[in-house]
Amino acid sequence: MNIRHKTILPWLLVSPYIIHLLVFVAFPILFSLVLTFNKWNIISPMEYIGLSNYSRILHDRQFWKAVGNTLIFLSIHIPLQIIVAISLAEILNQKIKLRPFFRGAFFLPVIVSGVVVSILWQQLLGFDTGIFNRMLTSIGLGRIGWLIDPNWAMPSIAIMATWKNVGLYIVLFLVGLQTVPKAYYEAADIEGATKWQKFWHITLPMINPTIFMVVILSTIGGFSLFIEPYVMTGGGPLNSTLSAVLYIYKQAFFYYHMGYSATLGIFFAMIILFVIIIQKKFIEK
Amino acid sequence: MFIYPFVWMLSASLAPESELATLTVIPSEITFENYQVLLDKIPIGRALLNSVIVASSVTLGVLVFGSMIGYALSRLEFRGRDTIFYIILFTMTLPFHITLIPNYILMVKFGWVDTYAALIIPYMINAFAIIMFRQYFKSIPQDLIDAAKIDGCGELRIIFQILWPNSIPALVTIGIITFMASWNEVLWPLIVIRDEQLMTMPQLVTLFAVGGRAESQLGVKLASAVLLALPILVAYMFFQKYFIQSMASSGLKE
Amino acid sequence: MCIKLILLSLFLSGICVFASSCSKNQKNDGELLFWSSNNLPEIEFAQDMIETWNASNSPHINFQPVPEGQSSEEMILAAVVAKTTPDIYANMRQGDVEFYAESHVLIPLDTLDGFLEFMYARCDSSVMDEIRSADGHTYQVPWKINPIIVLYNQDYYDELGVVDYPRTYSAYLSLAEKFKKDMDGDGYVDRWFGNTESNVLWYQRFFNFIPLYYAASGGSPLIENNKAAFNNEAAVKVFTFLQTLYKNQYFPIERLAARRDPFLYGDIATKWTGPWDVPFIQKFKPDLNFNAHPMPVPDDYIGVSHTYADPKSIVIFKYSSNPQKAWDFLQQFLSIENDFKFFSLSKQFPRRKDLLTDSIFVNYLKRNPQLAPFAKQAKYTHGISDTPYMKEILALISQEYEACVVYGKKEPRQAIQDAAQAVDLLYLNLSQ
Repeated sequence: MNIRHKTILPWLLVSPYIIHLLVFVAFPILFSLVLTFNKWNIISPMEYIGLSNYSRILHDRQFWKAVGNTLIFLSIHIPLQIIVAISLAEILNQKIKLRPFFRGAFFLPVIVSGVVVSILWQQLLGFDTGIFNRMLTSIGLGRIGWLIDPNWAMPSIAIMATWKNVGLYIVLFLVGLQTVPKAYYEAADIEGATKWQKFWHITLPMINPTIFMVVILSTIGGFSLFIEPYVMTGGGPLNSTLSAVLYIYKQAFFYYHMGYSATLGIFFAMIILFVIIIQKKFIEK
Repeated sequence: MFIYPFVWMLSASLAPESELATLTVIPSEITFENYQVLLDKIPIGRALLNSVIVASSVTLGVLVFGSMIGYALSRLEFRGRDTIFYIILFTMTLPFHITLIPNYILMVKFGWVDTYAALIIPYMINAFAIIMFRQYFKSIPQDLIDAAKIDGCGELRIIFQILWPNSIPALVTIGIITFMASWNEVLWPLIVIRDEQLMTMPQLVTLFAVGGRAESQLGVKLASAVLLALPILVAYMFFQKYFIQSMASSGLKE
Repeated sequence: MCIKLILLSLFLSGICVFASSCSKNQKNDGELLFWSSNNLPEIEFAQDMIETWNASNSPHINFQPVPEGQSSEEMILAAVVAKTTPDIYANMRQGDVEFYAESHVLIPLDTLDGFLEFMYARCDSSVMDEIRSADGHTYQVPWKINPIIVLYNQDYYDELGVVDYPRTYSAYLSLAEKFKKDMDGDGYVDRWFGNTESNVLWYQRFFNFIPLYYAASGGSPLIENNKAAFNNEAAVKVFTFLQTLYKNQYFPIERLAARRDPFLYGDIATKWTGPWDVPFIQKFKPDLNFNAHPMPVPDDYIGVSHTYADPKSIVIFKYSSNPQKAWDFLQQFLSIENDFKFFSLSKQFPRRKDLLTDSIFVNYLKRNPQLAPFAKQAKYTHGISDTPYMKEILALISQEYEACVVYGKKEPRQAIQDAAQAVDLLYLNLSQ
């Protein structure tokens, strides 16, 4: 009795997960795979079309543009995020005065819903009446077409996303910085190292694991970029903020191409896995 | 730099519409008209209640199931344990877009569209929480569990009476993260809920601000955004320390 | 131990069952659900109608504005899939009906008692022909139209010394040149002649390209025989005109959502819109002196300026528990008294044949001169070709629109040609 009990019990405890996995993860993935071979407008019955969804992806310029946009977003957002987070964490790590206050303030955008942030920043980034441009003109600089200039729109959204998330990464880096043994710095001081040298040769290698984690987290977050362009730009101007997820969403819910949308989703998931594997290789080296 | 936008949003929502274009910090007169209009137009109180119900149920589910599964994975020996662990890790890297439409179809087949179930049940199990519980339970001394077993405690009593009181930091961390994530979720409610009486706050505010009902009145839109941010900000003021610690540890234990 | 585990799982599944059951309180057995648009006067009107009905009729009708975000399409589609549609939906774009009709989710209304008699009494037979679906059935009630024309700020026009309204592109452009200004001297224009949404989303073309195209072409269709029909001089002229508006900064590029309403607060002099804007302006800026005139046309165009009608229809979904009752309610909803009530509340035009002849409407129009130009326009309006692919077609046009008109990256002729080609390609792919 007791032995049987022992073998069943763990499975009983784990069973909710198994059920959840089968129903909400495995089934949808299988379903999506089936969808990729079909044409389906979600209301009428499915129609088998073989591989044409796949061949369509190869010629779909908008999708590749959207993937490119997402990569542009990541290539601005990740370095910016890391530089800002490390510098602010460094500053917070030194000056003790008001530190909880600043830490709290940096953290504020992290907890607020993306909807609030998008509504708010749309106003701040306005070309004609937005606060940023009013500040620029008041100090005699030209305005910037934050959301209306195709060259600026994606960087603007990347800046906004950095503002939203950087508080979290500051805290992560603060934790990382505190794990660096003081003795290392003292030894460096004796050898007359400059601040920069200390940062470059001691701090950076010590917080490398944190950097890796920040890169992975922002990559995953960046690939799912959706609500910001959905609310703020609708993908324009000139498709410069059309993110891959937004495009997949449009295919499904604007044009009712469920099969094609599923194909795009799976294709895009492959790209994500690929990028993350590369990142892992690159940073771990 | 980080607070100013929020201050601007608050004061703009209190300012008369005509001042918005030039407003920098303080409006010349303060009016609650925007909030009045908002309360008249959408059932925001009901939405608040819905959000509380949904976010608390999800959090409760994640804590209960997460600790059960985390316990099994960290403290019990059984065949397939490692396989399950790796499956969990793998599912964490899958993007949600693949499962969006099939999951909606599931909700339809289950008859859960326009019910709380659609908002709660798919979110009651969270891979991330399981992993965190597993990590945390590993750090609890085996003696404690052995002692309880000698006293004749069943596994569930071990989890909820022995492990929980000794895992407050993990519970708080996972609780806060789950609650926040559930509170701020927009896309899924947008798809599964159409009955205004069941909408969550972020959904209702998104519909209001993006759809036509704000009548392009900017002040009203901003007021709705303020109301949406308010509950989580209040919670944040009280539990700031926990919030930051939770988020920090959530990242670290990955 | 095992028992406890079972109890716990029972408890949790209990929560689940509770969660899934305690919510469907909205629609009791036999009750009907009505969705209106998000326009406030429309909400007010629909609520009023439903209250009256519920006071003396059964089954009861519940009301909610359509839960839409950027557009109502996603919500309707999701509802159809879940079979949780409203019984009656009173804001479907006429061009969208065909998609749902082909998918067999709408009630063929002509099979309901009294439908055809009622409708032929209300509408011209040409309208009834227009809304009949390819299979011979009628799936929609043509409820209202909103001619899109130019709303203008009378004080600004007086300031500019306008005697005759700017009928042609060059008249409009020369007024625009005189009007645009840098009011605060920071080197940027901050008073424009007009504004229209520059967003690339497909339905925004209903308020700029399509009305101008109908005006320039005397109402030619965009699509004919599953082919693009807009590859012509009229479309090129429209794109050229629009491009000039942006190039010379007569119109701002910024999205409307990023600012307070520019027409209300005097940042612009003209706006291309429908009569629904009239009560909106009267509510938020009662002292604003405004009127309306037809859409501008190319200089060499002779004749009346046509425009887009923005026709909206009422449909009954087939998941309705009682379509006949739903229609009974609609007959009351669409009576001449209620059409008038709707008209005076929302200023949107009921699609009745007696709109310009019945004294009740005629007298009202006399008392509201700002509505007269819309009424005069009503005869020269067009809907949009019925095709299930209209969204994609407009999205393709919008791509070229944005590149050419808003950002000046393409020549108008090239842009129109590319758009037409893309549309033809779309049809080619679909027919495979």
